[in-house]
Order: sequence, then C-alpha cells, then structure tokens
Amino acid sequence: MLKATLRSFLAHKGRLLLSALAVLLSVAFVAGSLIFSDTVSRTFDRLFASTAADVTVSPKKTLDESVPSGATATLSADLAERVARVDGVAAARAEVEVQNITVVDDRNESVSPTTGAPTLGTNWNPTERSPVELTSGHAPRGPTQALLDSETAERRNVRVGDALTVIAAPGSFKVEVVGIVTFTTTNPGAALLFLDTPTAQTKLLGDPEGATAITVDAAPGVSDETLKERVAATLGADRYDFRTAGEQAQSDVEQLGGFLDIIKWVMLGFAGIAVLVGVFLIVNTFSMLIAQRTRELGLLRALGADRRQVRRSVLTEALLLGLVGSTLGLAAGIGLAAGLIELMGVLGMNIKSTEMVIGWVTPVTAYVVGVGVTFVAAYLPARRAAAVSPMAALADAEVAGVGRPLKVRAIVGAVVGAAGAAALVGCVVASDTGSAASLLGLGVVLTLVAAVIAGPLLVRPVIRVLGGWFPALFGSIGRMSQRNALRNPRRTGATAAALMVGLALVGGMSVASASMTKSFDEQIDQTLGADFVLQNANFVPFPREVTKQVRETEGVGLVVRSQFAPIAVKLPDGDRIETTAVGYDPELDEVANITYAQGDSAAALAPGRLAMDRDFARDHGVRVGSAIPVEFQGGRKADLTVGALTDQESAEGFGMQGGIYFGLATLERYAPGAQDSALYVNGSPGTDPDDLRGSLEATLEAYPQVQVRDIADYKQLVHDQIAVLLYLVYALLGLAIIIAVLGVVNTLALSVVERTREIGLLRAIGLARRQLRRMIRLESVVIAVFGAVLGLALGLVWGLCTQQVLALEGMTALAIPWWTIIAVVIGSAVVGVVAALLPALRASRMNVLAAIAHE
Amino acid sequence: MSTPAAEHAPGLASADGVAARARGLTKAYGSGETAVLALDSVDVDIARGRFTAVMGPSGSGKSTLMHCLAGLDSVSSGQVWLGDTEITGLKERELTRLRRDRIGFMFQSFNLIPTLNALENITLPMDIAGQRPDQKWLDQVIDTLGLRDRLRHRPSQLSGGQQQRVACARALASRPELIFADEPTGNLDSRAGLEVLGFLREAVDGLGQTVVMVTHDPGAAAHSDLVLFLGDGRLVDEMARPTAEAVLERMKRFDVIRRQHDDGAPAQGD
Repeated sequence: MLKATLRSFLAHKGRLLLSALAVLLSVAFVAGSLIFSDTVSRTFDRLFASTAADVTVSPKKTLDESVPSGATATLSADLAERVARVDGVAAARAEVEVQNITVVDDRNESVSPTTGAPTLGTNWNPTERSPVELTSGHAPRGPTQALLDSETAERRNVRVGDALTVIAAPGSFKVEVVGIVTFTTTNPGAALLFLDTPTAQTKLLGDPEGATAITVDAAPGVSDETLKERVAATLGADRYDFRTAGEQAQSDVEQLGGFLDIIKWVMLGFAGIAVLVGVFLIVNTFSMLIAQRTRELGLLRALGADRRQVRRSVLTEALLLGLVGSTLGLAAGIGLAAGLIELMGVLGMNIKSTEMVIGWVTPVTAYVVGVGVTFVAAYLPARRAAAVSPMAALADAEVAGVGRPLKVRAIVGAVVGAAGAAALVGCVVASDTGSAASLLGLGVVLTLVAAVIAGPLLVRPVIRVLGGWFPALFGSIGRMSQRNALRNPRRTGATAAALMVGLALVGGMSVASASMTKSFDEQIDQTLGADFVLQNANFVPFPREVTKQVRETEGVGLVVRSQFAPIAVKLPDGDRIETTAVGYDPELDEVANITYAQGDSAAALAPGRLAMDRDFARDHGVRVGSAIPVEFQGGRKADLTVGALTDQESAEGFGMQGGIYFGLATLERYAPGAQDSALYVNGSPGTDPDDLRGSLEATLEAYPQVQVRDIADYKQLVHDQIAVLLYLVYALLGLAIIIAVLGVVNTLALSVVERTREIGLLRAIGLARRQLRRMIRLESVVIAVFGAVLGLALGLVWGLCTQQVLALEGMTALAIPWWTIIAVVIGSAVVGVVAALLPALRASRMNVLAAIAHE
Repeated sequence: MSTPAAEHAPGLASADGVAARARGLTKAYGSGETAVLALDSVDVDIARGRFTAVMGPSGSGKSTLMHCLAGLDSVSSGQVWLGDTEITGLKERELTRLRRDRIGFMFQSFNLIPTLNALENITLPMDIAGQRPDQKWLDQVIDTLGLRDRLRHRPSQLSGGQQQRVACARALASRPELIFADEPTGNLDSRAGLEVLGFLREAVDGLGQTVVMVTHDPGAAAHSDLVLFLGDGRLVDEMARPTAEAVLERMKRFDVIRRQHDDGAPAQGD
C-alpha cells in the first residue's frame, strides 16, 4: 500500500506542485519571522549586555511616555563622586545622553536617520564597554568640537573639519566635527554625536551640574546585585532607579522591542494569511485528485483495501507533500530572514547575516505548521476517498462528487452565519466600546467561516448573475465557461474562497480607514481654527528656541503652544489611569473651536484647573468642581479641579485617554522641561496667509525637523499616517492574491486535465484554439470576480460594523471608498485573466486525437 | 471558404460527384528504421450523397484514414481533398475552420458537452462559428431524429442511444459536405445501434448527406452503399450494396491472410 501511495505521489507531482508552493509560502513566512526576530533580539541582547555598565543609576521614572513630551530627566553629576566612595565601586561616571536633538549640516539638512530612529547626543567618555571606537581625528575638547558616527557621516557625506549645527533643548549651537567613531558592535540604527562632558552638560541639558545617568563599575569580586544594593542604600532606593547590567540590557531591549514586535507580528500576519489561503488550495487539490482517481480508488477497494488503508494512503500523500513543502519553506524562510536583515541594513540597522540565529524552535514550528496545515487540509478529502465504494471501479467515469447535496453545508452555514450576523448586530447596538469590539471580532470570524462553508451554495445564484451576460456576449463559448464554473460548486466555492478571504479583509479595512480619514477631516474642519500648525511630522517636540523665532517672525499675530505630559489621574471611582495630558496657552479659543458640555476654555485653562471629556468624566463619576489628584513625571503630585467638560469627538487612543488638558502654566509648574509639540499660529491683522507662510518657512529654514501646515496640509498629514496602515493591509492583500491566483491556476489546470476528452471533442468539431483559451479565461474571470464580490460584500459589512464600533470613540463619519471597491472588482477580473494564462495555453496545445482518446 | 450548405442543397448532389478524395495518402508513425506505416499510399474517392463504410481488422488503418480525411491528423505524404479544397498543407487554423464549417463528426462515445443541453449541443458548431442555424433545416433534422421533446435535456439525462442521436443531429445540423462517424454504434445495444444506423441511412437518402462510417461490425456496414476494406494500411477491396453475410465472409479472409502473414505485418493500433 505504501508503494502504491509513493507511486501515486510521484505520478501526481505536477498536480501537487502548486499545493507545495502554498505550503512553502506559509512556512517561509513563519520560519522567516522566527529567524529574523531571534537573530535581531540575540544581536541586541548581546549589544546591550556588553555595553551596559555593572550598575546604572538614573532619575526616577514614574510614568511611561506614550507621547513624547521632550523633557529629559536629569540627576546631579555630583552623585558620581558619592557613588565612587561606596565600598566595592571601582569607578563611577556621570553620563549625558539625550535623544531629542536634531543635527543639521551647513545646507540646513538634517543628518538624522530617515527611518525615525533617534539622534543621540552623548558625552565622550570611552570605556572598554563603549559600542564605538575613535577611528579618525581626536577626542572632542571644548564647546565647539564633536564626533560623529561613521555610518551617519558616510550617509550624509560629513568629513572631519565640517561644521554642524546641533539643535538641542537649551538652544542651537555650532560644532566642528573633529573625529569619526565607528561601531564595534551592531548599530541599532541611531545617529550618534559625541561632545566632551562639560559641553554635553551645558549645551544638551542646559545644566552644567546635570547628568542623565551615573554608570558604576564594580570592583573585582563584587557582584552587580550586591553593588546595586549598596549604591541604592547610599543614595536612597526611592529617589532613583537602579539597574544592574542585566536589568539595563533588558530595559534597553524592551525599548527596541516595540519596533521589533511590530515586524514580528506583521510577518506572522503574512504567515497567517498564507496558511489560511493555502488551506483552500490544498483542500481543492486533494479533492480534485481524489475525484479524478475515483475509479482507481474503487479498484483498490474492490481488490480488498479497506477504508482505513485508502484514507491512510491519501493522508500519507499529504504528509509527503507537507514534508517537502516545509523543507523548501524552511529554506525559503532562511532566505526571507536574510533579506529582511539586509533590508534593516538599508534602514541603518546593521546586523551581520552571518550571525543568523536558527533556534530549534524554528524548524520544529516550520514542520508543525507545514505538515499540520497539509494534513488538516487533506483530512476531509481523505475521508471522502475512503468512502468511495468498490462499485466505483465498475461505474462509468463520470467524475464523482459533483452531485452530492450541499444540505449539511447549507445548515451549518446558515447556523454559523446567523450567529455571526447576530454578533455583528450586537456590536452595532452595543454602547460600550470593549464589548462592541469583542462582538465585532466574533462576528467577523463567524461570518467568514459561514461564507467559506456556504460559499458553494452561493456559486449557482451569484455566478448565474455574474456570468449571465456571457452567452449574450460570447455565444456558446460564454455559455460553456459559465456552466463550467457552475459545474462543481464546491470546487468553484473553495477556489473563490481563497480570494474572498483576502478581499474581505481589504474591503473592511478600506471602509474603516476611509471612515477614519473622513472623521478626522470633519474633526479638523470643526475644531482647528488656526491659520497654520507648526509641528514635527512624527509629533516629536522641538526646542523653545523655535517658538521664540516663530513669535518674532514678521506677520505672526498669535502663537498658541501645546505640550504633552504623561500623567496619572486618581479618579473618584477609584481607578488610577495613566494617560497623556495636553497643556495649552490661554488663547486656545483663537485657534480651536472646542465644544463644551459645561464650562469654557477660560475655566479649563485657569491655574489649578483641568478639562476632560464628558463621557470619560461620566464613566468615572467626575463632575465639574471635582478635585482630581494628578501625578506628574518625577513623582510630583497636585490636586487639580475640573473646570470644564468637553463634548466633542475626541480622537482617543494614542495614549490620550480622557482627553485631559489644562493651562500650559499648570504643566510648567508641575512638569517643567517639556518642549513644544505644536504651535498654532494666526497671522496678525491684514497679513496675507501666503506671505505669512513664506515668512514662517524662512524662519524654519534652520529647523528642518519642523514643518508649516495649513488645514489642508494638516489633513494630508493625517491621511498619510492612516495610509501607512493601509499599505500594510495592501501588502497582506498582495500575498493573499498571489496564493489565491495559485489556487485559481491550480483549479483550472486540474479541470483542464479532467476535461481533456471534452476539449478534444470541442477542438474536433471546430473550436479554434483562441476560442478555447477564451473559454477557460472567462471561467477563470467569473470565478475570480465571484470571490471578489463575495469578499467585498463581507468586507463592506465588516467595515460598516467597524465604523459603528469606532463611532463610540468619536469616529462618527462613514465613508465607503467606492472607487477602491470598483478597482478591486476590475482587478479581480484581471487576476482571473492572469490565472488562466497557463491552463489555457496548456489546453490549447493539446493534441486533438490524443485528447479524444484520453481515458 | 464559403459555407457548403449553399453549394449543394439536399437532393441536388449527384451520386457521381466526389465529396472527398485522397491520392497516395501515406501516414507513418515514428521515423527511420522503426517507422510504422499506418496508411500506405491509399487512393480513395468518397462519393457524394452516398453512405460509405470503412472496414478492416484492428490495426488496418481505418481510423487513421478517417482522421486524415477529416483533417484531424496530418499526413506523411500524399494529398487529400475535401470537395475542391486540398486540405493537405492547410494550416491548423484553417483546418479547424474546415472541420467546423464543412465536416460533421460522430464519435463512439463522449460525443456531447455535458454542460450544454441537447439543442445547444446540436447547434454548437454553428454557435462557435457565430452563424445562425437554418431553422427549417434544423427542425427537419430534429424531427427526423425524433429529438423534439428532448431538446432541453442535458446529456446526463439522455440514454446512450439518445445521446448518439443528438450527436447525429449535431453532425447534420450545419449541413456539412461530409459526415464522419467513428464506430457510432460501438457503445450501443443492438436496438439503439440499429436506430442510429437507420438515421444515418435516412440522412443520406432523405436529406441528401454524405456519410463515411468507420466500423468493425459487418451488420453496421451492411447499412451502407459501399464498403471499403482496409488491410495493413492499404485499400484491399470494396463491396457495393453489401449484406452482413457478404461482409462477414470478406472479413474472414483477412484472418486467413493474417495467419499466413505470421506476425510480421505492420500493425498500428487505432
């Protein structure tokens, strides 16, 4: 029996090719993402472990910053001397490292990485643990000398002797590059600028006595743990954060982790799509192979093979396919990881491909995924194969499985579909975001499952309509292609399902994102009253020097600043919520139209007051006049009184829960040192907006990180940021479509083989090759468009429900991107044409006589 | 290439006209030393308005002859004409159009497209050509074959005999110059087979068509006007106004020759 299985596997290897490709793609993405994230985290673990000091003392950090405030927490550099006297300390150094500087060259162009990685300004204090070494020039001495890292220097063509301007929080200053440092380890992608310690203190921190950390080396024989305890005991464990080398490395890795996690999840998303779509392809392949081999299986049964043996034979074939696909997929995954590492190199993060880490988890996962998916996908067809009766050997060769009733599918599909629909209705009527979101998730999954199960039932009615005009347009060729698509609804349904899954996701995401864009547009139109908004594209704050220069610019009337601050509020209902608050200048009403449920801007921005979102206040039992204990970064606390409640579509999320804001004076009092995140600028009376824009742009010439935007530009900025999300979705779609195309090719190719005699007959009675190709092409198009229509219909419903859920968060506008939808339908027809190319060519090349005689 | 239907209306075809002609028709499979001759320099005329049967033992080349005459297979040498058109040397595309417009086919089995109903199958060659069928003629063919109440049925809903009648109707529907029938009764029981043979006879007598039928059944051949006997790729005999007994007798002599010939004679499976 095994011999027969192997023979069969080898005999059908051509037909299994595309299934193997689907397995390969799924496994490649799984393996690639594992290898990549293992390699990257190993690299950075090593880097941080090797560069971290034995013990690091840093200012107490009480709140996480989800939105950058621009403030740099400092401690006194004198602590180094106190620490040095602690028993067991070999050396203690005051370190200065700031992340919020911008370095520009003499053409006013930023030399910072284009990837959004930070530019670090650091004091030059080399130890054996430094990640860099001086490779040319000399160490910086005095207030105008600096070192630059070699990768940035190379990228921006900066040489020793060149002048740079450093835009730091205390102000801009000019330096001369006196040396270049080169990474001895992996560069995580940042740009590095080194100054001598006094310069770093005065010009980066604005505090000649300040430091951002104290690094401590242990004397021989003293463990990091012991040292940490002693240092903490000396300085006061509550006043600072103390970390051993291990803890410091861990925390550094976690900082990078967010970014790496995103890449990992994106890759796993691709893998998931590949697996999901691949399953349909494999199910279809095995179903067709078994349908075509009905007589052969019947013969085996007639000769005495029992059901179990037949089933095992099919499953063994699946196992072989899974093994081959997984092995190739693993290899492809290694290639994919190498490619990603290269790509990271282009983005400035240099990891050596030779240091690639392939843990034992990777191959195990690859084989489990590859073989598992194939096995699961082949299980139903295998059962069907086992159900073939010995009589099939004697029956005429009319392909089995066509006429089997779809009753079970109808019932299961209807039940699951009804449950899914109920969940979706539930999420639309729900008033609580949390439960609405989980209902939405449930509804999406259930309706997708229902659509996959019931897909074959929809084949007849939908394709009757879609292909209804084929006979009129293409005569009998159109008629035959339409009916060929209807011939085996299961097969057509499963083939189209692959496309449906991808397009449903895209449909839903594009409705959601279009609605988001429209909501933001409306919100911007409603609330933004300023002539211009000045800010960094990434919402990174900028030095106050910029604000000063802007105020002095000709034609500028009013400038309203906004700053972010991480806070924690203790609410009357007992919740402690960490969020980000905004501070505004008192003239807020001049640049924004805020609708208040109670109170006004004056009450909101007065000293000791704050404003918050009405719904948030209601949920937590807050009223106007409530005193709210607020905790600021660094541990300062204050009781602020609620002065006003807002009633507007606040864009919550982004770590801005509650929509809390107060006067800038309040913020400066409790959390000093923040930089301005945005400036809202109105022209002085009689100033032409174009002139003002020109003057502002001239002022900002020296500050390339800050841009001038009017309302239209501001909307565009928001659109672009939403678009980034969409691009990701489109990339997922691209992969789904590739696999779906493979599925269509697969189905058509196997159908062509199955219909060899029919094709021979058609050719004999005078069907031209061109006509035959068109027939197959039309069938392919109608299958693809069927999948697209089903997917988009599902996606539209999902999108509508998503919008309804997000409306609870203030995203009230609904937009349906009809052009995208039309483009997708047309695109799917093109996909159909492309998928039909090879099968059609193959069919048209068949020898007529051989085809007629085909058994 | 004009539509043949206009050139010879039923009844006008003279019995002495030639519907198809082959001269020196040779078909070899393989090449060089191992070449096998399926047809060896065959000269044949197919009379217009007649029912011609081609007989011969297995491997005699009778199917190959039909395929070459119908433009389904290429020839190694020699010439073939359909009417006045020399089809040897025609390009693939021209051959396809020739088959579509001027030839009708009936095969032993799998004659119909399963997705099309009987009427759609009957008019398929004309639909492919983008021509409207001649409704009067179509009605006549359908009534002759007794398919009127089966037109909306799919092939799977028809019996074997009915399927062959539909195939026969399709072959007749475009009023081709020549109808080739390759063992049309091979898969039928004797009653249904007789019925189909009766229709082919009627197509010649009543509708004035020309039919060439390949068969190995002497009983079937007895329905024809003329039987051509093929042996080892050569035309060895012919018999006008055949009877089943006479054909059977003639066929027995092949067996004798074959036995004398030992196994050395070239044989090509058909």
